[in-house]
Amino acid sequence: MSDTRIIKKRYIFMASVFIGLALLLVILPKKSTSKQLKPEQLLLQINDNNRYVSTDEVARKIIAADSYMQLIDVRSPGEYAEFHLKGAINIPIDSIFNKDEKGNYVYEDILNQDIKTNVFYSNGTVYANQVWILLKRLNYKNNYVMKGGLNRWIETVIRPKRPPVTATVNEMALYNFRKAASMYFGGGSVAAPAEDNTPAPIIKKKAGKEEEEGGC
Amino acid sequence: MGPLFNASDEWSFVIALVIGIAFGYLLESAGFSSSRKLAGVFYGYDFVVLQVFFTAAITAAIGLLFFEYFGWIDLSDIWVNRFYTGSAILGGALMGIGFVIGGFCPGTSACASAIGKIDAMLFLGGFIIGVILFDAFYPLYAGFYKAGNQGPVKIYESLGMDREVFLLLFVIVAIASFVATGYIQQKISHKSKKY
Repeated sequence: MSDTRIIKKRYIFMASVFIGLALLLVILPKKSTSKQLKPEQLLLQINDNNRYVSTDEVARKIIAADSYMQLIDVRSPGEYAEFHLKGAINIPIDSIFNKDEKGNYVYEDILNQDIKTNVFYSNGTVYANQVWILLKRLNYKNNYVMKGGLNRWIETVIRPKRPPVTATVNEMALYNFRKAASMYFGGGSVAAPAEDNTPAPIIKKKAGKEEEEGGC
Repeated sequence: MGPLFNASDEWSFVIALVIGIAFGYLLESAGFSSSRKLAGVFYGYDFVVLQVFFTAAITAAIGLLFFEYFGWIDLSDIWVNRFYTGSAILGGALMGIGFVIGGFCPGTSACASAIGKIDAMLFLGGFIIGVILFDAFYPLYAGFYKAGNQGPVKIYESLGMDREVFLLLFVIVAIASFVATGYIQQKISHKSKKY
């Protein structure tokens, strides 16, 4: 009889430990479960040039009507209205973190998803890079920067320079592509081309990819 | 503090082996290699299975939440099984029937085979044949198997409850079930002593 009583005492002790710990979890203040990237990881990513997409690549994708690329113009709405690349949507750099009345980021559906590839551009590279870094800090994926921005776009795609006669076959091929692209994009003219004013597509996040099943 | 080990490196197999051996050892020490003990939970003379698994669940749950609190683990990295309504119900029923008839569940049958129990080896053989048959005829019931995917749902989320509050209630339910099953066990063993 005394033996069972000792066991019971042990059980009561263990039960109170469990309840105590569970109660502690209820009482403990909630920690913000931020998914932000650690500074050292961010530094690594910043030094990595993988985020850059060349103007030629962007041109090629626009011509091929690649629906998996989403161009995002981070300049002001005024500049956007004046000229922007075909299919680009405008998210000015100062409004990327705009929140709706519920406190959610308005553009999160576009900036943090795993279906489309976002390519940011500004006049140069600086602003697009800033947007990229801010979003990288939040660990948003699938974001890229068009290297050189619109300045490089005009230099390379709209007004390509003829390479010297000593140029390699590849350089000539690139030049020919650029010339063709230049014609496609309205050859040398930077005047605002007619753009469709369809509203930006809202991209819904994919509901969890199918992964391998685990079991007992 | 980062993860203790990276799931993608070659050490993960070694760690899995060590954890597996420890798991098997503990199952065996808890008496889970005995089909009589395992089936006892269905007949009401032994509730050790329920008690051990419930204790394991609440220990793991409390531990994980504390680990997360201290920043040692990222819970969003943990795989959560998808919940398929139909297959969960049918699979659960089949598993239960197999458990009562065979006296083992898949894990414990491996554990009991390891210590040389012949019934467990037969069970394990049947289990492997079942896996092969399931795979062979998979296209026949793939539709049913995949139907009603609710995603990685968690009970507290579907109840709209706070995670920690749910855990506290779960602990209380676990302890209540220990008391209740202890009571039932005592009654049944007293009765069986009469015969």
